[in-house]
Amino acid sequence: MTNQTKSQFIAVASITSELSAVMVVAKEISLAAANAKAIAFRAGDKAKGFQPITDFINELAKETIELVTNINIYALVLYRLTVDEFQRTAAYNKFELAAKMAEGATYAKSMQEPVDHAKQSMQDCQRQFKRDVSQLLGQLEAVMHHARAARVIAANSRIEASQAGEYLQSLQAVAESVDKAAHTIHDNVQRCRIALSVYRNS
Amino acid sequence: MKMTKIYEGSHQWIMFGRDEDKPSNIIDTNQYVVRTPNRCLLLDPGGAELFAPMMAAVLHHAPVDQITDLFASHQDPDVISSLGLWDQALTNAKLHAPAIWEGFLRHYSCESIEYMPIPDNGGTIKLESVELQIIPAHYLHSSGNFHVYDPQAKILMSGDVGAAIEGPDAPLFVDNFSAHVEKMRYWHQRWMPSNQAKRVWIERVRNLDIDILAPQHGRMFKGDDVKRFLDWFDALQVGIAV
Repeated sequence: MTNQTKSQFIAVASITSELSAVMVVAKEISLAAANAKAIAFRAGDKAKGFQPITDFINELAKETIELVTNINIYALVLYRLTVDEFQRTAAYNKFELAAKMAEGATYAKSMQEPVDHAKQSMQDCQRQFKRDVSQLLGQLEAVMHHARAARVIAANSRIEASQAGEYLQSLQAVAESVDKAAHTIHDNVQRCRIALSVYRNS
Repeated sequence: MKMTKIYEGSHQWIMFGRDEDKPSNIIDTNQYVVRTPNRCLLLDPGGAELFAPMMAAVLHHAPVDQITDLFASHQDPDVISSLGLWDQALTNAKLHAPAIWEGFLRHYSCESIEYMPIPDNGGTIKLESVELQIIPAHYLHSSGNFHVYDPQAKILMSGDVGAAIEGPDAPLFVDNFSAHVEKMRYWHQRWMPSNQAKRVWIERVRNLDIDILAPQHGRMFKGDDVKRFLDWFDALQVGIAV
């Protein structure tokens, strides 16, 4: 296995690992939203501005979970494609070697078709991988967008929390947890993007 | 890879092996090819490491599109881990292999090659006018194991039975049976698990008219050495590791 193939396997495998962490964090945001809703309900008029924010937070968490679930399915496809590409490349190399070793054999020329076919097949896989990586990067960008939106919501939450009297601390804690979660999502997704960007279709 | 014609008649048997370029840490194997005018059967085509030299050697005898059949006596990697490569090279081929190993062998990748599952009681492989018999050899050593007998050529390809571990310069045929015994003893005692399976196989094989017994490792047996081997094997206690 070449170093490039190893890096490709690692890059694809790391997406699943990073995204499973994102999934955990998105579920935490969802819990924070439910918690915030309960606090806002108890706070009544004092947290009137906070109530619609909790719905936003919850919606954002749900959308992130959905996106990540889809990306995970896509990452699995990408992993299979990586395996496929590895096998086809190995076959092409073996076929070329066989053709070279068969020089002078009565039927040496008959090896040309399998060599050409293996080469074509390997190149198709490489192209498909690049196309899929570009699409996956697009989906990861959507998650980044959600993370940025969550940070804006966290900022708004802090402002609203400051007007919630004795509920200030509880609601600020919610805002903090949303902000922290948004940071984590941003960082993890950014690592996925960096790992994959070298394989993007140029 | 050395190539030796071991039968020439209406069809040919060619033995491939003693590959000097083989990595030293993998077991040496014998591959056999049955060649008819338009078709070619590879018996135990070998491991993935061996694919390129094996393919190159076969091209001296048949074009790629006439390699129509593969046979795997059992599931071991030295027998058939090259399957995924043959699968990509051959567009119209069949793999004859034990039915019970199908789900396992497909791990090597078998998409374009058609898997022809061999039932426990064996069967036949028809190669143009040649009909080869698939002889059950279960538990020798694999739980789903077959050998191939050619009644015309009087050759029994006997998989791991009759095998011995030898260097790449070893002769192709046993030339001194008594001296050869010690090369085979531990192999058969340790790899073959069942005395009962051994007795059933010997009984079955004694009914065949065999000129050459052709194992997957080591030297082949011909003439009286075939009977000598069967007698020796009959008397041997196997399954010694328990």
